[in-house]
Amino acid sequence: MADPVSSISIPTATTAPWKGPVALGVAGLVVLAVCSVAMPTFLVNNLIRAFLYAAVALTVDLLWGYTGILTFGQSAFFGIGAYAAGLIFTHLGFSWGYAALALVAGIGVAWAVSRVVGWLAFYHGASPLYASVVTLVLPIVLVQGIYSGGEFTGSSSGLSGFDSFDIPIELWFFIAGAFLIVLAVMAWLFVSSDAGRLLVAIRENEVRCEYLGIDVSRYKARLMDTAAVIAALAGFLFACVQMVVAPEYAGFVFGTELVIWVALGGRGSLLGPIVGTMLIDVGSAYLSGDLPYIWTLLVGIAFVVVIVAMPRGLAPLIAGGVRHLVPRRRRAAAVPVAFCSAQARAQDHAHDAWPALSVHDVQKHFGSLKVLDGITFDARAGELLSLIGPNGAGKSTLMRCIADGAERSGGSVKISGTEIGTLAPYDCVALGVGRKFQTATVFESLTVGEALRIARHRVAPPSRWRREPTLALPQPALDVLRTTGLDRMSDRECRYLSHGQKQALELAMVLALEPHTVLLDEPTAGLTKQERTQIGEIFVALSSRYRMCLLLVEHDLDFVQQISSRIVVLHQGRIVMDGGVDEVVGSELVRAVYAGESHAGEPRVGELNSEGQP
Amino acid sequence: MLNLGLDVVTTAAILFIVSAGLLMIFGVMKIINFSHGAFLTLGGYSSVIVGHAGLNWWWSVPFALLTGFVLGIGVERFIVRPLYARPLDAILATWGLGIIVGQIITLVFGREVQMVVSPVDGAIAVFGGHYSVYRLILVGVAVLVALALGGLLNGTRLGLQTRAVIMNESLARALGISSARVRFMTFCTGAALASAAGALITPLSSVDPNMGVPWIVGAFMLVLVSGSSLLSLALASLVLGGAQVLVSTFVNPVLGGLTIAVLAALLLRLRPEGFARG
Amino acid sequence: MMKKFSSSRYTRSVLAAALGAYLLAASCAALAADPVKIGVPVGLSGANSVVAPSVVQAAQLAVDEINAKGGILGRQVSLEVADDGSGAAGAQKAFDSLIFDKKVNALISMETSAARNAGLPIVTRGKVPYIYTSFYEGRSCNRYMYVDAWVPDQQVAPIVDYFMKQDHAKTFFLVGSDYAFGRGMLDFTKSYIEKKGGKVVGNEYLPMDGSDWTSIISKLQGAKPDAIITSTAGGAPNVTLTKQLRAAGVTIPYGNLAVDEGTAKSMGADAAGIYISGSYVTNIDSPANHAFLAAMQKRFGSDLKTPNDLSVPEYEAIYLYKAAVEKAGSFDTAKVTPALAQVSFNGPRGDIKMDKQHHTPLTMYLGQVQTDGSVKVIQSFASVDPGAQCPGLK
Repeated sequence: MADPVSSISIPTATTAPWKGPVALGVAGLVVLAVCSVAMPTFLVNNLIRAFLYAAVALTVDLLWGYTGILTFGQSAFFGIGAYAAGLIFTHLGFSWGYAALALVAGIGVAWAVSRVVGWLAFYHGASPLYASVVTLVLPIVLVQGIYSGGEFTGSSSGLSGFDSFDIPIELWFFIAGAFLIVLAVMAWLFVSSDAGRLLVAIRENEVRCEYLGIDVSRYKARLMDTAAVIAALAGFLFACVQMVVAPEYAGFVFGTELVIWVALGGRGSLLGPIVGTMLIDVGSAYLSGDLPYIWTLLVGIAFVVVIVAMPRGLAPLIAGGVRHLVPRRRRAAAVPVAFCSAQARAQDHAHDAWPALSVHDVQKHFGSLKVLDGITFDARAGELLSLIGPNGAGKSTLMRCIADGAERSGGSVKISGTEIGTLAPYDCVALGVGRKFQTATVFESLTVGEALRIARHRVAPPSRWRREPTLALPQPALDVLRTTGLDRMSDRECRYLSHGQKQALELAMVLALEPHTVLLDEPTAGLTKQERTQIGEIFVALSSRYRMCLLLVEHDLDFVQQISSRIVVLHQGRIVMDGGVDEVVGSELVRAVYAGESHAGEPRVGELNSEGQP
Repeated sequence: MLNLGLDVVTTAAILFIVSAGLLMIFGVMKIINFSHGAFLTLGGYSSVIVGHAGLNWWWSVPFALLTGFVLGIGVERFIVRPLYARPLDAILATWGLGIIVGQIITLVFGREVQMVVSPVDGAIAVFGGHYSVYRLILVGVAVLVALALGGLLNGTRLGLQTRAVIMNESLARALGISSARVRFMTFCTGAALASAAGALITPLSSVDPNMGVPWIVGAFMLVLVSGSSLLSLALASLVLGGAQVLVSTFVNPVLGGLTIAVLAALLLRLRPEGFARG
Repeated sequence: MMKKFSSSRYTRSVLAAALGAYLLAASCAALAADPVKIGVPVGLSGANSVVAPSVVQAAQLAVDEINAKGGILGRQVSLEVADDGSGAAGAQKAFDSLIFDKKVNALISMETSAARNAGLPIVTRGKVPYIYTSFYEGRSCNRYMYVDAWVPDQQVAPIVDYFMKQDHAKTFFLVGSDYAFGRGMLDFTKSYIEKKGGKVVGNEYLPMDGSDWTSIISKLQGAKPDAIITSTAGGAPNVTLTKQLRAAGVTIPYGNLAVDEGTAKSMGADAAGIYISGSYVTNIDSPANHAFLAAMQKRFGSDLKTPNDLSVPEYEAIYLYKAAVEKAGSFDTAKVTPALAQVSFNGPRGDIKMDKQHHTPLTMYLGQVQTDGSVKVIQSFASVDPGAQCPGLK
């Protein structure tokens, strides 16, 4: 059945990618140790604070710069960690035992609060604006809670005068700095790993990720949980070294300052926010005495200018400087990937008796407007079913109803015998449905290889700290890549692909999910004649050779006639005809339905039937 | 009991007046104007200027409308328009603008609390109790604002175009409506309204560079649950504003201050359309 | 043989001697000219920024006067002002900068409680004497810190006693901002009222940045008290509460524990009738106050910010520091700190001596705001004791 295994080997030159960052990190630690004793006390004190703020800014960068979640709430988690220490040390006293208790309490509460925020903000269909609003409300609520805590929480004056670890300030400098360096190295490894690419994919095209089987909401929530714990840890350290906690460290002004520092430093660059935070924070310590109002005004102006005109912040400048100092190394993004054939997964034959797709009395209405009514049909493995009908007939809506359980208003949809109920797209993917969108939606900033690896996420979770040189794909996907030549372009960014290549890539991504049923929404739109032929052959191969069930929405009736095994005609939300190709193409009804239709460049019904009536 | 009812109605009216401008901008442009607080403050200081010029306080409302509109022109052109495609960035940029305006006002006027003489003072006897005259007047003002906006949206050509853009911008543009012009006019009108609201609340609050900040979160939570409908906003103001009054009175004013934000967040989670028709 | 007189050698030796003398003199002068630095971390931005300029002016006048009379122990005094942002984060930077970077000899300033609390660990680590010149909620204790301003135990009694005696008030309604100072003041007020046989029929708080007093005012009107006492955060909450009270037609006796003369004056007609209590009003009729006011007017002219209950303690504190250093005979913290409890200074507020557990007995004045905005002194109470603020410090 399957073609012989073919793998294209590309000379890979990836050295262990973790060596670079770790080496830099160790060098940083050494510099830190030297500075702790060499620098003047005032600067040391300031830098301790700046290191911890930079650590929190790093979490904001991971959430916002990389994943696109604009969060004002990291300050709240920082405050939780700090207040855990402050409250326990004030009311219970200080000892190593209490310190451990405070640490656990701080991290635990931060994690729990993050779960609540995650439930509120990240769910299928949530708007990013709403998520940001929730993260804005969080610190406000927390601070009001602190204010109303009276003597227990210290209210607006905060808590101070509690004991803490009796270690010299130089050692604290080293601890805070080491915390930042370790965090930065780990973050660097993560974002340059294969798993880190998923952050960018989510930021760019969340919907596509969902249709690739990735539970985006859960991923974001877990990311926020991790960020919350890190911020709480930074807060705990802060309280221990400063021996004072105040509501402003948990408030939304601090939360927005973090966003400002990340924006100015350069979002999505890790190093930018760190440098930006430290420069602004230490700078303000020196300058704010001289120009208290002007300083805030200047920062505000710089912020607006950066957001409007230079979204990448100062990072490009820093990066340019760094590149002059550090010897040039190949950028991680340019690593080419070799594709090879994936091991065929154990076929689950329990569902073979069922039709691949079973749609029964599906309805969809918007208010009083009925878009779909009484749609019922079955499709079996190996069928290539084309869905045709004039514009507005409801074809794309039907596709959505099959791939997303929450979409339809009534009726049932079964994939291989399993009812999809109200399952979200990523769960429908798990049942074996893949959907290719009408407009080719891929991930502009990622390479072909990275995009395909994301598509394999559900089956083969990517590594969290390195980049694999090979990617195993199922044979159908490999066929598509080989036919269109994409297999040699694994390191080209998707934004540089032609329209036809993007369509092919998206198809390959969908096939990488190993679906039984593939939904294709106008796959030939915008393709050249040659590309159309190519893709037609691929479709036929998918249904005949690989026994997939293909459901195609198409306007190109020529194409439909050539490749389909069965045609369903939709008109005004109802199925008006369902039968073999010749039966449908020659029918009076279809011609009547299409009467008056004219698609520029598309063959009209009248032209199809060369010996038929006009 | 009567006082409580009047508290609810007048609080709802004040919330409506403050949020109406934000609603217009959100409905058409789908962005949250985080500089809303700065425009409120601008309106408050317009009152101060009118007071220093020796004119009757009621002149501050048209003057505030004017200053808000003029500032809105600059903001739309230089900050909002380049960020049409990046709504989250638009939030940040308008927030930064709020900071800038606040600092400039501080530099020009100083940080002290400014005094504005109230146009009407004291309470009147109402059904056996006493109630603040000005708060009752604001109920009337809220109705006026609603009628005026409703009239603009439903009775003028620009209003019709605005409603088209709200419903389906690409279709509206395909039909020849200049959505850029609609956005521009909407932003300036919303900004002017925010400024006027700032002037209208000065008899009940102080005028200082940060006076707008406490209103921002409440106003935009109300706008989020209202979608793009004035009627929904009125309903939301009544329900959430009423909840705020009830919690403040019977439980705790600290929790009362949080009521609108928390309830709105929960409501949106359970019903993303909020008060708007589904 | 007679040595030939070499004029060049003579010139060279004279020059050498002159140079040597000059260097010696210069180094002596340099040693002598090393100024005493007094650090003033104050809220140039943030909530205290309205009152900070007056505090800095008071400090400047004190330093100028002291320098004109020869400085402290022969050394000139210089001021180092830093912005503490009226909050914890800014205070840490400011205190750090003053103690470790500018290396001041003493810190003398007013702060918000959050800023003060944030700065104290740094003061302890840096071992610098710190005179806190702001009234506050009390009970903040640190080996190096002295307070020359009032605490609730001193401020509340005049108003409550007056209402009870003059207006026969029996029931009180308390309103405040929900923060340490507001709660501290009103808690003390409540226990004082109850100790004197009165009854508190309502005790309501709004968050510090709250501006909508509607429900509280409605409750107030429902409770029908004889008098109202408030302790809100400074600035906006004072104004919003007063305006809304007057808009609702509340005219019962109103004692405001947290408003100063300047804000009251700017509130115009709405503030008329409000009772305030403090350790300083500009109308104090004493030679020291008259001299002080004249000197301020002369020094700052039209830029003068009206002296008030937050800036005058600053002026007096600098003189107290001078006295302590002179008594100790050195600038060494270990010697100056105990001396601060032993010296006294006669200033615009009277005789100031920080000898009650690092706090100060003060003369308190009860005043009422007039329709023209000025404050009329109704009664004064001499030497009110601050109570047991820091029993651990003695």
